[in-house]
Amino acid sequence: MPSLSRRHTLAALSAAALAMGSFATATPSAAEDLVKASVRLKWLPQAQFAGFYVGVAKGYYKAEGIDLTINPGGPNILGENLVATGADTFAQSGGTDSVFAARDKGLPIVSIGVAHQITPFIFVARKDGPVKTIQDFKGKTVTTWFTGANHVLTGMLTKEGVKPDEVNIQPQQVSVTPFVDGNVDVITATYYNEFYTIQSRMPKDNLKTFVSEDYGITFPRDTLIVAEKTIKENPELIRKFLRATLKGWKDAFADPKGAVDTVMAAAPTLDRAQQEFMLAEIKRLMLAGNAAKNGMYWIDPASIKAAHDFFLKYGVISKPVDIAAAYDSSFLESIPLADRLP
Amino acid sequence: MSAALPSPTLAVQRGILGAVLLVACWEALARGLHLPSYVLPAVSEILSGIWTQRAALGSAAAYTLLEALSGYALGCVIGIVLAVAITILPVLRGAILPAATAINSVPVVGYSPLILLWFGIGVASKMVMVAIAVSFTVFLSMLAGLDRVDRRAVDLLRSFGASRLAILWRLRLPTALPLLLAGMRVSTVRSVIVAIVTEMLGAYGGLGWVIYQAVLKIDFVQVWSAIFVASAISLAFFGVVGFLERKILFWT
Amino acid sequence: MTSGAAASLGGGRTAAARLPDPVRKAARLLLGLAVIAVVWEGAVQLFGIRPVYLPRLSTILMSVAATPQAYINGFLRTLAETLLGFVAGGAFGILTGIAFFRFRALKDMVFPIFVVSQTIPVIAFGALVVLWFGNTLLAKAVIAFYLTFFPVTVNTLLGLEMVDPRQVALMRSFGASNRQLLLRLQLPTALPQIFVALRLASSLSLVGAIVGEWFGDTTGIGVLLLQAMFTENMVAIWAALLAAALLGTSFYAVVAAAERRLIFWSAEQ
Repeated sequence: MPSLSRRHTLAALSAAALAMGSFATATPSAAEDLVKASVRLKWLPQAQFAGFYVGVAKGYYKAEGIDLTINPGGPNILGENLVATGADTFAQSGGTDSVFAARDKGLPIVSIGVAHQITPFIFVARKDGPVKTIQDFKGKTVTTWFTGANHVLTGMLTKEGVKPDEVNIQPQQVSVTPFVDGNVDVITATYYNEFYTIQSRMPKDNLKTFVSEDYGITFPRDTLIVAEKTIKENPELIRKFLRATLKGWKDAFADPKGAVDTVMAAAPTLDRAQQEFMLAEIKRLMLAGNAAKNGMYWIDPASIKAAHDFFLKYGVISKPVDIAAAYDSSFLESIPLADRLP
Repeated sequence: MSAALPSPTLAVQRGILGAVLLVACWEALARGLHLPSYVLPAVSEILSGIWTQRAALGSAAAYTLLEALSGYALGCVIGIVLAVAITILPVLRGAILPAATAINSVPVVGYSPLILLWFGIGVASKMVMVAIAVSFTVFLSMLAGLDRVDRRAVDLLRSFGASRLAILWRLRLPTALPLLLAGMRVSTVRSVIVAIVTEMLGAYGGLGWVIYQAVLKIDFVQVWSAIFVASAISLAFFGVVGFLERKILFWT
Repeated sequence: MTSGAAASLGGGRTAAARLPDPVRKAARLLLGLAVIAVVWEGAVQLFGIRPVYLPRLSTILMSVAATPQAYINGFLRTLAETLLGFVAGGAFGILTGIAFFRFRALKDMVFPIFVVSQTIPVIAFGALVVLWFGNTLLAKAVIAFYLTFFPVTVNTLLGLEMVDPRQVALMRSFGASNRQLLLRLQLPTALPQIFVALRLASSLSLVGAIVGEWFGDTTGIGVLLLQAMFTENMVAIWAALLAAALLGTSFYAVVAAAERRLIFWSAEQ
């Protein structure tokens, strides 16, 4: 009967669809009781997050009893939001700015470590161009990211007596081509990403860089965060995660080529040379400042307080935030110093 | 089911009732469960947010609408021109139709990375994306409309010595009008959505840009406000084109 | 139908016309693809088109061959999301279409809400869906579902309303229940219209899956696309586009094939 065969065909198609769907989701479950957790990166997979990828590849998380999924970030994703709703267990999120902003808005997240101890980006202009000092920014086109770097820019401008509205500040594009072609006067570049791309297109000695630390502004970034709920209910998970993550980073720095291999396996369309450069720069950023003697992910009280006051001044947060509640070093400090140093 | 249809006003009343019930449930859910705004803000919060931010949202809406409208116009022109070209020169059908189908086998949003790299993050890239999205629909609708002309009518006119162009103008175009307008009507909402989707990957302004910023600033009331406004302008655009469609079809 | 078949057989009986239909179709398809490939290669070399605008097809294919696993995994993952969203959206669309058909009051109340829901830019919705559902297959399938159900609802309703009232009256006079009426008469009559929507829905659910993957997924064609964009890797963008085109056309073809089988059976009645 037509209606019967129709039903059969439709049923078969639906069953096949559901079967395929569940097949795709089925993960080969390990025999042991592994706790499922996820870490949300602040951007797409690259050597900036090598520690996590190496940790998974070498089974450090599994050894701690964690079945870790690494979820890449991207545009329109904020780690704080995802950790707050429980969509992800951990996140290596934007930076001290996003952590403070989240706490200011009442999101129940806490930072348990800070990866980049110094500002990971700089402002770049052509040496033979019209911009020689910060005062020269006036009336020029400066592109930056409005996810935090814009505050550093405004801070630097104000310090040098330039009003931000006297500068044509524009959102930065994906590509560095507008800067290379001369349509943009000053570009924001991370040491590990855009700066590499720019140098591959223009000779380094034709570039003038503006470093925020020279103007007394430090903007620590790549903060490790977790939900208050996890701290309350499962603090041991956090310690285990940190231990495995630190091990992953140690291995990544000890064997950079192997680390890049692991990252490229996750994102095959990356450029190998750039990833190796990136890893070297990340090592420098993660071991800068007091991290050199206190270990990776060190939460430096002075830098954090300075950052807090900076954000309060520039309206990133509407009122003072309780730093002790927002940053918790106890988990980090429970791990022996030797394990925190490469 | 084939019983007499209820009067239009009853349908409208029920529609309003449905909307009111939805809003009431939403409000109750958000407030009753004390949902934080990053999960689901209350409707009242969103509406007051729209009012407070009306200047910013208004200019963002204008920006997006500009992109959508210009892309829409461009897309319609391309679609119509291609369909007419195939009708005047049937030999082109073998070349254009497969090419268009191939280009459209990739979901339009897939092209955004390509278009953004080619045209930058300014208005141009959004216009191009909208034009791509709209042109195919309009092209197919116009072609279907032109094709469905009665062969006998065409032969009749030809027997009177009418040229191809004359047949096109006097017979095919008027016959194609209903399908063309239907395709154009359906494309209105798509144009706003495609503009916003592209903006969220890179833009200098617009509702997609507002949403992007708001997510990163953890301002979810703003996210929903922008969504509401986007929805409103889509409906308005749809309504205007639908209105024009009825007027034109009434007159021809 | 029959006149069409006669027209396609045309005047003389060429050798090609004697080949079985699916073989002929496959041959035509392969020929078409070969022509496109040759034109692509040739045009890029002939006109000296810079790779930043259009890379050579051979370069693109070679890059896929260099890392095939990423593309295979991506293809399968996106396929799974699309399939789930499509099935869920299609089922929901048909059910709501039937419900709206039976209960006019429900339709008047809820259908406008459906219409408005489709004006919400899905990508904005995506940011929220990922917050609610996490980075799971389910989240992507939800987005695909969201884009899929509406055209199916509309066309189910349209199809059901095309049923001849006299046939309804006839069946009722034989004591047919509402359920029998639905299954034996109304749904089969509506099937062609429903399939029009399902064909459209097949492309829409792919869009949903790809957009969903832009919210921080690990594998997928949308992921490959996004990664390629942010590394300005033009060749990789094109590779991902080709993968998407392949997925889109095959999915559409499967739905269209299912349509031909089922409508054929339905017409048999």
